[in-house]
Amino acid sequence: MVRKEREIKTIYALVLAIFVVFLAVPILRLLLESFVGEAGAGIENYVEVLTGRGFLTALGNSVAVSVCSALLATVLAFFLAYSIQYTNLNKRFKRVIWTLAVLPMLLPTITYGFAIIYSFGRQGLLTRLFGRQLFDIYGFHGLLFGYVIYTLPISFLLILNTMGFIDKKFMVVSRVMGDSPVRTFWQTIIRPLLGTLAASFVQCFFLCFTDYGIPASVGGEYEVVATVLYNEMLGSIPNFNRGAVVAMMMLIPSVLSIALLKYLERYNVRYTRISRIELKKNPARDAVCAAGSSEIIISVLAIFAVIFVVPLVQEWPYQVSFTLEHVRAVLEDSSLSGVYKNSIFVAVCTALAGLLITYGAALATARSGLNGKLKGVIDAIALITNTIPGMVIGIAFMFIFSGTPLQNTFALIILCNVVHFFSTPYLMMRNSLSKLNSSWETTASLMGDTWIKTIVRIVTPNMTSTILEVFSYYFVNAMVTVSAVIFIAGARTMVITTKIKELQYYTKFNEVFVLSLFILGTNLIVKGILGYMIKRKEKKER
Amino acid sequence: MLELKHVKKSYDNVTILEDMNLKIQDGEIVSILGPSGCGKTTLLNLVLGLTPADSGQIIFDGKDITEVPMEERGFNIVFQDYALFPNLNVYKNITYGLKNRPGISSEKEVEEFIDLLGLREHLDKKIEQLSGGQKQRVALARTMVMKPKILLLDEPLSALDGVIKESIKEKIKEIARDFHLTTIIVTHDPEEALTLSDKVLIVNKGRISQYGAPREIIMTPQNNFVKEFILNQLEIKKNNIFALFHQNMARSMQAV
Repeated sequence: MVRKEREIKTIYALVLAIFVVFLAVPILRLLLESFVGEAGAGIENYVEVLTGRGFLTALGNSVAVSVCSALLATVLAFFLAYSIQYTNLNKRFKRVIWTLAVLPMLLPTITYGFAIIYSFGRQGLLTRLFGRQLFDIYGFHGLLFGYVIYTLPISFLLILNTMGFIDKKFMVVSRVMGDSPVRTFWQTIIRPLLGTLAASFVQCFFLCFTDYGIPASVGGEYEVVATVLYNEMLGSIPNFNRGAVVAMMMLIPSVLSIALLKYLERYNVRYTRISRIELKKNPARDAVCAAGSSEIIISVLAIFAVIFVVPLVQEWPYQVSFTLEHVRAVLEDSSLSGVYKNSIFVAVCTALAGLLITYGAALATARSGLNGKLKGVIDAIALITNTIPGMVIGIAFMFIFSGTPLQNTFALIILCNVVHFFSTPYLMMRNSLSKLNSSWETTASLMGDTWIKTIVRIVTPNMTSTILEVFSYYFVNAMVTVSAVIFIAGARTMVITTKIKELQYYTKFNEVFVLSLFILGTNLIVKGILGYMIKRKEKKER
Repeated sequence: MLELKHVKKSYDNVTILEDMNLKIQDGEIVSILGPSGCGKTTLLNLVLGLTPADSGQIIFDGKDITEVPMEERGFNIVFQDYALFPNLNVYKNITYGLKNRPGISSEKEVEEFIDLLGLREHLDKKIEQLSGGQKQRVALARTMVMKPKILLLDEPLSALDGVIKESIKEKIKEIARDFHLTTIIVTHDPEEALTLSDKVLIVNKGRISQYGAPREIIMTPQNNFVKEFILNQLEIKKNNIFALFHQNMARSMQAV
């Protein structure tokens, strides 16, 4: 061998070892548990769960509400994205829509549910404004509402991104060829987006199907797979083996939907170049889009308004004078402020550890001469982490690490988050790294650099933007996630989202909302600072 | 002197180079010429040490360097896309290697390279502010600072336009002559190869088609490939240019 690449091989081995210990082994153990019963190994648990009361109903409920939410979210997201990409609306207006549309991502889903309760419930803010309760919040409607809010930002970003890669010049071509407006719309906007729209639907379905936060708060009597799973594991009569079965059942649609996503990728239209054109003047279109998108955004904001209102008044809904008493109470309650510190600690560590692991993994796949099959393993890991719901990882961790020194440690939560959210940041890293000039390492080593030195002196300085983005992605997700950590957070390692679940039990909603505000504020600050750094960096480069 | 003996290379059972034998004298400029996919870049990477040979020997100054890793061979390369480091300015790019090998070029020598390549006014600039020709010169300077024993250039002119192409050609000749530096250039353009180098190595389908001085190739093409693909191309070019000038002359004759 001429180039040994010893460093990259070591990194590769380390990354692989982490995923063997913290992904492969736990999931296999989970699979094993699902076959273990009182009478020995067999499919007894499966039979029991599948024929048992409730599970099939829950599965049907999950599918129904997830399909409806995914459809609705995709349609609304398309409308928002269209308003931004295809209208002559004011730039500042577009910017506001953009920012507000993605705002819900900065809050944990468990908060959405409570926000809905306090908006549309009997004593809710909006119920009082409208003078009557608009719909029954517990069950299908509440879940639908929560899921749509949850998935709208993700679908919006997905569609907006693809729209940015559509060559708008084809609209001119279509028009001069004599197409009717409807045909132009179909041919030059919908057709190239079909793959993405389908992908958005599948992605939203997956998120709704596997989310625990929303059904935890507004599910009510309407059972979904996530609540069944939680009750089997941490409910009043836990049965771990049956829980393992439910977890495996949750895995199946997840795997199917990601396989579908992978398949849909090939329908993505690729334009060789993207040209800017002046969009046709059409005040009617612009007006409709402005009104529609404002309406969507205001609806979302209206629901979140309670998060700001409830904790900042004396006693909702009876005494509505402003006070900071509740915020102060939370700050003074050391158990609550301690939880906040825990969350920050976990988020920062997750971001740093995630950064190292994704960077290492991406270096191995994008910038090394490793065998294609070895690289394929890492890509496969990324795909697998994408298919495994947080709850399933959490339960698998619970099985394998209970009784080990790792139980109830921050390290476990951090590693769980790193593994759970690996896919997206890894792909971000890999894409940026593969765009960098492929001859740098060779050139630098001819200039006497060691590999590490080249990474420090050349590659990393050219990756700053992506590194900051990955940090921010991991940080925000670690702050808002609940599905996996709920199974592995101990009394000493409680984070905000798991604390919220506990506070719900004691109906302490002021504290729930104050803590949610803390999460929102922290995420806004972190995203703001990192966003500013990225922007400054990009401006400097220009 | 660099010598290749029976060098072979294949990827996934597809033979890229078959039984390469050639000698390059010190201070010579040699162009490797051939159509895309003929194996010329692989040959360059073999000499550089980036790609290991399957069999055969590479001998430099009497020493077998076949197994010597790239960093220890002491050769250097300028890539087609220059591979300049965008996070560093022009001067820091040029002196990059000095941090690892202090004193490999003295301060005075560095200044000489800068002046020779006309880069003095660009030293504080960022890489993306440079034109193609300027980038090429920075990459050349950065490589020359490392005092390579052999200079390898991968398609050094293909990204440049007309006049700049000619001036870079002159610079390459000047460097090779002044520093008595063996220079190996990969190109797909016969005109470039035959006007720039002392010797041309024509490669086709992984084999040497002809190896000789430009004059020999023009006067005594050894096979059909050289005749049809190399000489024919030059012939068409020549005729076009002659026709152009002839018309002009005819017109000016009429005007008189």
